[in-house]
Amino acid sequence: MAEKYIALPKGISENTFDAAITAFRNVLGDSAVLVSAKQLAPYIKTMMPVPDADYTLSAALLATTVEQIQKILAICNQYKVPIWTISTGKNLGYGSAAPAERGQVVLDLKRMNKILEVDKDLAYALVEPGVTYKQLHDYIAEHNLGLWLSVPAPSAIAGPTGNTLDRGVGYTPYGEHFMFACGMEVVLANGEVLRTGMGSLPSSNTWQVFKWGYGPYLDGIFTQSNYGIVTKLGFWLMPAPPVYKPFTVQYQNEDDIVDIVETIRPLRIGNVIPNAAVIAHALYDAPTKAKRSDYFTGAGAIPDAAVRKITKDHNLGIWNVYAALYGTQEQVDVNWKIVTQAFGRSGRATILTEKELAGDPTFNYRAEIMRGGMNLVEFALYNWRGGGGSMWFAPVSQARGSETLKQMSLTKQILGKYGLDYSGEFIVGMRDMHHIVDVLYDKTNPEQVKAAYQCFDELLTVFSEKGYGTYRVNPAFMDKVAHTYGPVQRNVHKMLKNALDPNGILAPGKSGIR
Amino acid sequence: MRKTLSGHTPCQAMPAMTVTSAALISTLIAAGASAAPPEPQSNFRWKDGPEVYAKVCSYCHDQQIGPVIRGRSLPPAYISAVVRNGNRAMPAFRASEIDDESLKKVAEYISTN
Repeated sequence: MAEKYIALPKGISENTFDAAITAFRNVLGDSAVLVSAKQLAPYIKTMMPVPDADYTLSAALLATTVEQIQKILAICNQYKVPIWTISTGKNLGYGSAAPAERGQVVLDLKRMNKILEVDKDLAYALVEPGVTYKQLHDYIAEHNLGLWLSVPAPSAIAGPTGNTLDRGVGYTPYGEHFMFACGMEVVLANGEVLRTGMGSLPSSNTWQVFKWGYGPYLDGIFTQSNYGIVTKLGFWLMPAPPVYKPFTVQYQNEDDIVDIVETIRPLRIGNVIPNAAVIAHALYDAPTKAKRSDYFTGAGAIPDAAVRKITKDHNLGIWNVYAALYGTQEQVDVNWKIVTQAFGRSGRATILTEKELAGDPTFNYRAEIMRGGMNLVEFALYNWRGGGGSMWFAPVSQARGSETLKQMSLTKQILGKYGLDYSGEFIVGMRDMHHIVDVLYDKTNPEQVKAAYQCFDELLTVFSEKGYGTYRVNPAFMDKVAHTYGPVQRNVHKMLKNALDPNGILAPGKSGIR
Repeated sequence: MRKTLSGHTPCQAMPAMTVTSAALISTLIAAGASAAPPEPQSNFRWKDGPEVYAKVCSYCHDQQIGPVIRGRSLPPAYISAVVRNGNRAMPAFRASEIDDESLKKVAEYISTN
């Protein structure tokens, strides 16, 4: 006889879970409470190098209103059922839609997808968690609002709430997404509804225009956390500039990263280059133009000589800077002069624009995402090794050339030890670099799965020993990363958890917090 | 001075106004304002198969990221199974994203176009 459930929450008997499921059905109706293997299959597939069974959910709940969520939390508290909330569930390479621990119930808010407000004059939006960037993009276009989004690379299928709450980034001047978030509505574990910042004031009309409110700023504790369920998110949108000028700068040696970062840092800090620009290694861009098997079929990481051949064949640098200028023609002209002079100084840079790169697939997709357009071409990375294995290794670096070279060399060396390629890029922050490396492997190949796991584990160990912290990670390594930040921070996280969620029902394990 | 439709100044009380007439007035004011913001969008629903294809599938399958899937008479049941379960690099899509009815429509569309 088939099992009634494909998994059970840790420490919960089938009888207790039966009672919880019955109660969930009373709130949501039968069709919004999923328990069969067929219904739950799409929640199980991850790209992590661990058995999917270790992260299999027990049920999924499709809620659409705050009131339903309040009732669900009351049931979870009553039966001590843990619940893992997702919005669009497309956190690919960071865990997808799977919970942090086997048996958790997934609260799926994809159908809670109203665009509540878009203010053209004040340039902000207020949305529910299930709204995708594509949905909002189309809404803005349909109403001719003249506003731009900032999106991560999986733009069309991901959404602003999940991405911002996980502190994801995009590529426009608004690319540090949480910096541009303004006001949340949060359902707390006890069922109370908190509106952060100015939203707590009855009749306030400044919820989406002033971030800080009064007293301690609370929004941050609801990001990368498990202290509440965010049901509305406000964030700022960028007025479409009259002129947009994307460009790329190619360099031909790996140690040129020092010169690149030293050149770009003052331009970024001085707001000459205002966007979250990218410094992409050849192997990050190569999949948009080349097949790995056309250049290397041997064992281990792809050799440098093969990478150099790819760059020659496909008009890529070993490093490729993608940045853009935004503003009036006069502003862009002045800044373009500053940019070309700065990059021209070393004599090693090749500066290219739309004029020289018309039709180039890599440049086209980079130009698209630097203006918040819809595009999934970055997924070409997944074809590099094939087999659907991917983890983002995401250490933070100072925006200092010597530091970025150290991080790149160390990452490449450790990846190479396990036969994996360095598919990395640096996303240029205001003072930092998000060093983003896609650890790509074939999940259908047990040897590569083992190598990928061990490699990622070593990357985290070695980097933390050198003082390089990771800003975001998939559930298989959340505990490990939490430990790297030391016992005092963990204890504060735990105290907040105990205060806000004494029964520990909200996403146990998120960021290593239980 | 700005006047309301009933002739009172904004600061004067309107005790006799019913809920219905207040709603009517606010509707009229909104209709007369040239820069009225668009109404909030109600819960999103897919219109048809081509819309799902254009707004989800095409970003990979028409861009040489995923394989070409149109024009191959792929069986709708196969397409639906891959959408729900994923396949290697292809992510799985949940019923909350593409509901069963819309999945049926997009699978038929892909299979026959």
